[in-house]
Amino acid sequence: MSDIPGGPMANRPVHFIWLLDCSYSMQGEKIARLNYAIREAIPEMRSVAHDNPAAQLLLRTLTFSTTAQWHHKNPVPVDDFTWQDVQVDGMTNLGEALDLVSRELQTPPMPQRALKPVLALVSDGVPTDDWKAGLKAIDATPWGRKAVRVAIAIGEDADRNVLQEFLGNPELRPLDANSPKQLAAAIRWASTAAVKAASQPVAASSDTLSKPLPYAPPVLDDDDDDVW
Amino acid sequence: MNQPYPLHWETLSASARGANKQRNQDWYTAEGCGTQADPLVLAVADGHGSARHARSDVGARRAVDLFAAHAREFAAFTNVDGLGGTRSLSWLMNYARDVMPRRLVSEWQRNVLGHWQRQYELDEGSSGAVTAPPTDGQKLLLYGATLIGAVLTPRLFAAWQLGDGELTVIEHDSRVEQPLAPAEAEIGDETESLCSHEAWRLVRMHWAPIVERDRMPRLIALSTDGLSKSFAADEGFVEFMTGLDTRCSEGGLESVQTVLPEWLAKAAQYSGDDTTMAAGRRPEQDTESAHAGRQTTERQ
Repeated sequence: MSDIPGGPMANRPVHFIWLLDCSYSMQGEKIARLNYAIREAIPEMRSVAHDNPAAQLLLRTLTFSTTAQWHHKNPVPVDDFTWQDVQVDGMTNLGEALDLVSRELQTPPMPQRALKPVLALVSDGVPTDDWKAGLKAIDATPWGRKAVRVAIAIGEDADRNVLQEFLGNPELRPLDANSPKQLAAAIRWASTAAVKAASQPVAASSDTLSKPLPYAPPVLDDDDDDVW
Repeated sequence: MNQPYPLHWETLSASARGANKQRNQDWYTAEGCGTQADPLVLAVADGHGSARHARSDVGARRAVDLFAAHAREFAAFTNVDGLGGTRSLSWLMNYARDVMPRRLVSEWQRNVLGHWQRQYELDEGSSGAVTAPPTDGQKLLLYGATLIGAVLTPRLFAAWQLGDGELTVIEHDSRVEQPLAPAEAEIGDETESLCSHEAWRLVRMHWAPIVERDRMPRLIALSTDGLSKSFAADEGFVEFMTGLDTRCSEGGLESVQTVLPEWLAKAAQYSGDDTTMAAGRRPEQDTESAHAGRQTTERQ
């Protein structure tokens, strides 16, 4: 093949960010199951990435409790990603976490040339700080507005209204994870379906006729003995 | 308007299927040679391709076919010797800006809704099942596509764009222009579309009456976003276009046409998207003869 003018070509990154609630209410089985579910989902994420060579899947993890902090601050290619268990700490400062993410969604550091990022929020409780300010900061960034968002509500105490507002789309619903089995299924779905959704071209969403249909979450069986 | 000149543009075009796509949902045409009788008509359409736009290959093809028909009709309007007599530049511009987008979009929508109805009747007839039909908006969504089209006659160069993709013009002095690029570059893969509500309002138009032959563009290239999104560097796409133009000068258009499918196939691997280009180029001889003609005139 003759040299193509224009220099090197490259696939485009999909930045996938886990936002994980690590407050005390997650202590015990919930955090253990969450760690397990994410670790088990990584091979499936790799598989989705390999099936879509035009996308380069990059992962990061942010935990929030009394403070928000990066568990993986730098984007890690999915093939190099290994899971280190997250630990519980204190409160549920979601707003701080959203604010930290909003800084990463600005351009720079986000490149102009990328596929839509994925924001996957997992929580079992009620935020204890100004989460609306954090959400506003995300919505103020172009990539934040375009991001594919998924939310997983662990147990009955999770504030579904907050998660619904995070989703920013009345046609989407937080995914309920009321048992270990449901949590595993929800994490698996968020890890794969959202990545696929991020890399599909669609007509613009501001349009009433062509408003994107939600990438439908699965219907999760609730036949687990161990219910949160 | 000045007197028309005999022009003979050459065309090149190709299309490649995106990585992992079952079929190519782009469509294109590159036809004519830029004379009044045979205007240069270029168009590319990019069917959105995802499951929500399952018939976007049909939508893209209909968009290109309709544009080509409208472009030829518009080119005929620019003919001072036509049945309609001389039409002023302002009349032509108003038509191009206001009337043509509305006609194009409404005919495209009518056309694909007709296709949907025929398919529905066929499917219903074969299955025997009676299901409630979707709304027109839902039907149109199936066919969603973008469109870029251009027409060039000895008197006028005009282009239209709805949605993403690139119109690239290499001017007579080698400047590279993208006259229909949005003020702010789009991010992500969402785009305006022929299936959008009141889509004609979203059409952008480039208007360039030709006042001097030797100031005409040298290359007009239309491409779907699969090409521009394949380059690692922001400046890669413009460098591709200038490199393509240079190779046309050095090795002739045919040599570039030979390798273009390979280039687009490689781009489609990286962008993941169907990748299409349709271009017209003014031959070197034409450029040189115009230049020589001007020098001769200046010496007199």
